[in-house]
Amino acid sequence: MNLNNVGLLVRLRYKLMWAKTRSRNGKIVLFVLGYLFLTLILILLAAGGLGAAVLAIRSGKAEIVAEAVLGALYVQAVFATVMLGFGMSAVFTDGELRRYPLTLRERRITRHLIGIADPFWFLILALELGLGVGLCVLGDFHIALVLVAILLLFLSNYLLARVVSLAIERLASRKSGSALLMVLVMCLAFLPGLLAPALAKNKANLAELLGVLRWTPPFGAAAAMTQPGMAALSGLVLVGCWLLAFAAILAYMEQRPPRTQAAQNSALKWDSAFDQVGAFFGPRNGPLMAFWLRFYTRNNRFRALYGLSLPLIAFLAFNFRNGFARRSVSAPVDPNRLFISALGAIFTVSFFGISRFAVNQYGYAGGAFRRFFLLPTDPAASMRAGSYASMLVGSVLIPVALLLWIPFGGPFDARKLAMLACSAVTGLLLLNGAGLWVTLYNPRKGSYTAAMGNDMSLMGNIIVIVGMLGALFTPQILARVLPAAVSPENWWDMPPLAAAAFLFYVVSLRATTTLFPSKREALLAVVEGRVK
Amino acid sequence: MNPHSDAIRVTNLMKKYGQTLAVENLSLNVRAGSMFGFLGPNGSGKSTTIGCLTGLLDPSGGSVEILGQSFTTESADLKRRMGVMPETLGLFDPLYAHEFLGFVGRMFGLDEAVTRKRVTELLAALELTDTSKTLSEYSTGMRKRVAFAAAVIHAPEVLFLDEPFESIDPAGVALMKQWLRRFTEQGRTVFITSHVLETVERLCTEVAIVTKPGKLVWQGDITVLANEGAIQYDGREFRALEPLFLHLTGERYTDLNWL
Repeated sequence: MNLNNVGLLVRLRYKLMWAKTRSRNGKIVLFVLGYLFLTLILILLAAGGLGAAVLAIRSGKAEIVAEAVLGALYVQAVFATVMLGFGMSAVFTDGELRRYPLTLRERRITRHLIGIADPFWFLILALELGLGVGLCVLGDFHIALVLVAILLLFLSNYLLARVVSLAIERLASRKSGSALLMVLVMCLAFLPGLLAPALAKNKANLAELLGVLRWTPPFGAAAAMTQPGMAALSGLVLVGCWLLAFAAILAYMEQRPPRTQAAQNSALKWDSAFDQVGAFFGPRNGPLMAFWLRFYTRNNRFRALYGLSLPLIAFLAFNFRNGFARRSVSAPVDPNRLFISALGAIFTVSFFGISRFAVNQYGYAGGAFRRFFLLPTDPAASMRAGSYASMLVGSVLIPVALLLWIPFGGPFDARKLAMLACSAVTGLLLLNGAGLWVTLYNPRKGSYTAAMGNDMSLMGNIIVIVGMLGALFTPQILARVLPAAVSPENWWDMPPLAAAAFLFYVVSLRATTTLFPSKREALLAVVEGRVK
Repeated sequence: MNPHSDAIRVTNLMKKYGQTLAVENLSLNVRAGSMFGFLGPNGSGKSTTIGCLTGLLDPSGGSVEILGQSFTTESADLKRRMGVMPETLGLFDPLYAHEFLGFVGRMFGLDEAVTRKRVTELLAALELTDTSKTLSEYSTGMRKRVAFAAAVIHAPEVLFLDEPFESIDPAGVALMKQWLRRFTEQGRTVFITSHVLETVERLCTEVAIVTKPGKLVWQGDITVLANEGAIQYDGREFRALEPLFLHLTGERYTDLNWL
């Protein structure tokens, strides 16, 4: 095997990462600080793993603690890579690697080495090693067994994340896949909420569940690390078997690229729903609206996220219903607490699906961005139409979410419904308004066809993540410090908030569309990939 | 448009990117009804110049007149009379060809019925009849044909084509040339950039050559070449465009003994 070429390509990935920072001087500083910060986190995480080891030894329940820590890490790693795209950046596709003198095997190894040599996976490994080293230092465990178990577990974790990502990507790229994906995620999201009360009520169920979990890689690794003799060996064999199984599934999937479904056709289809909706916006803006609607709704990632919006909001509302209060998961649902939680969750219902485009309107247009300036309209018309399309698509979910609230939200109270509607409208206007600024000042070239991953800019991520978390926690905090502010008695607090958000949106739209022509050359350089 | 007037008039055009000069005091006039070739080596500012002439880029200095009117990025009415095929094609990949052309037609003020008729005719003429594929699934040549169709769908008076013939098969190129000739016969103007000098020589009536940084070094009538004549320049005779181009832009030959 040509290890030299493989090594050169892995190094190239880091050179490219570094090269991104060269484009702006400030980014160099940011990058250096980022790496220092990462090193600090690595140390802290390793210490965290060590802390878990201390707890494991002192409590005398080393295996249980190891199972819990490794299991949680395993699930978190898969979740973070699949949902947020960490550690999954496809720097080189197989097609790109074919340019170099590499065999199929070498190309595969290169891609996965680049994947696993990602800072995100280093964090996971640091935590696991922290636990392992702690167990060996404080307890009487065999270091070789511990390290082998961690290494096998780590590799199996990466392979599983790859398998799941690939499966979701394949699923999302099919027309009906997004809907199926939505159902799957809904099931997964509600599973803990449904299982927890059942497990809390009946200990036998918990024992049964643990019996099943014993056959999973984290439990196998925990046994290998903490058990003597044959039990440790069988734990290692179990992780090894999973590792081989995931590797085989991944190899099988990678060897079978998805088939294109379309058959040749020569009939032109006119009169689509997009054109009909666009027609409402007049002959000048209509074609642009229809264009943006097509652009958004044909995107697989948009379809998946948009489909997930309602289940996610329902999940968040349900799971945060107790807020900061410690209550048993099996306690009956308090409609007032659920309302507070829903008030925060519904804020983002219209934004989650469209967020990627709303904070980076032109980032997925590539060279087609030029087209907007060749059109006989004022240059900002495309930006306005894009924002309206985003608002239109997002706002469709608001009445649906409100209708869902009526049967599940406890005794009907029109004031609560009005407050929820105001929260949703505020979110729609506020987040889309903020998105306009990010579109202009922190755009990023994204991949329209990528079904997975996070390719939003720093500010885009901040708007989405801070927006969601802020929305979720603000009513909970208010319920504690200023209960009157979120009480249905004071429902009239909310319409002025929505009006303020409307004002913010209008001002943002006017300001950004005025600034847009002067920013277009900088935007062009970013969306065409000439500047990172 | 009067065939003796200028369709495009550029005066002291300048474009800077930060401290880098991309176009330096470029002045040129393009006669209405002419097929004008705009040539230059890579990086000589041809696409930047087209960007300034079509509203994509703001010039740092100088002025541009199109069809007798001052042109800026805000000149929506003038843009309606212009067709542009940009270097990057400017295609929206998720759309089907007929959707994209329909969008462009409607944006340029064609009504629904006319748009549909022209889209259908253009797609048939350019052999883009497979409607099961989005633009992202088209080959490079097919994408180029779509971009060409988008530039001409509203029958513009001035047409800007940035490298129009690259990647298109000979039959497609022949068809496009035929259309372009008819276009200029009707008094419309075509402004072409290309690296294929033979094509420019056969197609264009007038040529401008620029060198880095967007500096005009020669402009003149080249119809004489088609009649076995020669262009006189610098005390030399040039019987083809290529030697003139190389003379103006600097002939380069470096011998690599290992190659």
